[in-house]
Amino acid sequence: MIKIGDISISPTKVICLGTNYLDHIEETGLEIPKEPLLFPKTLNCLITNNQPVIFPKYLNNNRKYNRVDYEVELAFIVKDKCKNVSSDDVYDHILGYTVFNDITARKMQTKDIISQKPWFRSKSFDTFGPIGPVIKTVNEIKDPHNLNIELKVNGKIKQASNTKHLLFKIPETFKYITQLFTMEPGDIIATGTPAGIGPVVPGDLIEATIEEIGTLTNKVILEGDEDNL
Amino acid sequence: MKIGSTEIKPTKIVCLGRNYLKHAKELDSPVPTEPVFFVKTKNSIITDGKPIIYPRILYENEEFNRVDHEVELAFILSKRCKKISSENAFDYIQGYSIFLDITARKMQIFDRNKNLPWYRSKNFDTFSVIGPRIVPPNEIEDPHNLNIELLLNGKIQQSSNTSYMIFKIPEMLEYLSNFLTLEKGDFVATGTPSGVGPIQPGDVIKASIEKIGTITHEVILED
Repeated sequence: MIKIGDISISPTKVICLGTNYLDHIEETGLEIPKEPLLFPKTLNCLITNNQPVIFPKYLNNNRKYNRVDYEVELAFIVKDKCKNVSSDDVYDHILGYTVFNDITARKMQTKDIISQKPWFRSKSFDTFGPIGPVIKTVNEIKDPHNLNIELKVNGKIKQASNTKHLLFKIPETFKYITQLFTMEPGDIIATGTPAGIGPVVPGDLIEATIEEIGTLTNKVILEGDEDNL
Repeated sequence: MKIGSTEIKPTKIVCLGRNYLKHAKELDSPVPTEPVFFVKTKNSIITDGKPIIYPRILYENEEFNRVDHEVELAFILSKRCKKISSENAFDYIQGYSIFLDITARKMQIFDRNKNLPWYRSKNFDTFSVIGPRIVPPNEIEDPHNLNIELLLNGKIQQSSNTSYMIFKIPEMLEYLSNFLTLEKGDFVATGTPSGVGPIQPGDVIKASIEKIGTITHEVILED
């Protein structure tokens, strides 16, 4: 169970979309997908507003892997158990929206992608999935596809876009996912990140903001420094 | 969820790819120098003889109409842990079970060749089968010396021994827990030996591991 603002949810899975903004696809050099590109993050990565993102020593001490990136994303939370949802009914199965930061061990991910390995370890370190600060219900957000989305590191804007640039919109994404898998109440779907991804280092402060939802703030600390907060 | 008479609450299922030499070769995959992990989500789990459902979205699509069996030894975590050393690995194991990592093979190869994540091909509902019970470590002297086999409609398709694993359990647990916190009830599937092959609606799969038992599951087409 995780409490996001006043709402507690018990997700069984976190599904993320890769390459869902054209400008981000250009910077990654990946293909434009014909259908939503999905990967999972495991529940051990979830933290909420104002909790630290822990930069693993394993990455920090290894020159091959010592880059960790932020990625701000609009996430939505599933309301009820569902499968094979049609695009028309999608919003009946969504509890609400929040901000998600898909923290990624970038060099490790790139190495795994090139060698055609799963995208797992680079995405699922503990604390690599900040979420919050609140869940805004479907009624509170008139159009989830017209929200400014931005991310600052130490006060400097790094990502700035609008959810209207999502390649696969929420109805299409949700229809596709529920064609494949049963979704459970509390499950989290992160809709992908816009351009501007880049590294963070211990000491950095990340502020991820989506219009009408709020700002998710997390400090980056080096593993082992948890007690010095 | 209940496996035999034991209740567990997994938060994740982690699987090893390419952990038997012959299997890595049959999939034209390089032999790994460190364990290759991927995740299965909870929607995929079934137990206790429930049918494996062959999704229509695969069955009706020539590009994706191959679903494979993979039998594996799985172990279940007894407590929350992070950064454990291989010497202490067995202190964190609640027991062993049989696991079937059902895989939409053509979809997996399609995704792999495009450098995409291994996710959707592995996580259809009913694609993770576990059972028939959890056998505690004191009943299994050596988990790396167990015959493992899979029969399809009575015919042997996979037959090996867990002694052929490339990465042994202590090594994989040390490696994995170095990355992420494991929770009580999480389980790890240790990879499949060679002999993977397709299943069809109507098939009956029987998977056995010495000292653990046998699980039997029918494959049916999605309604």
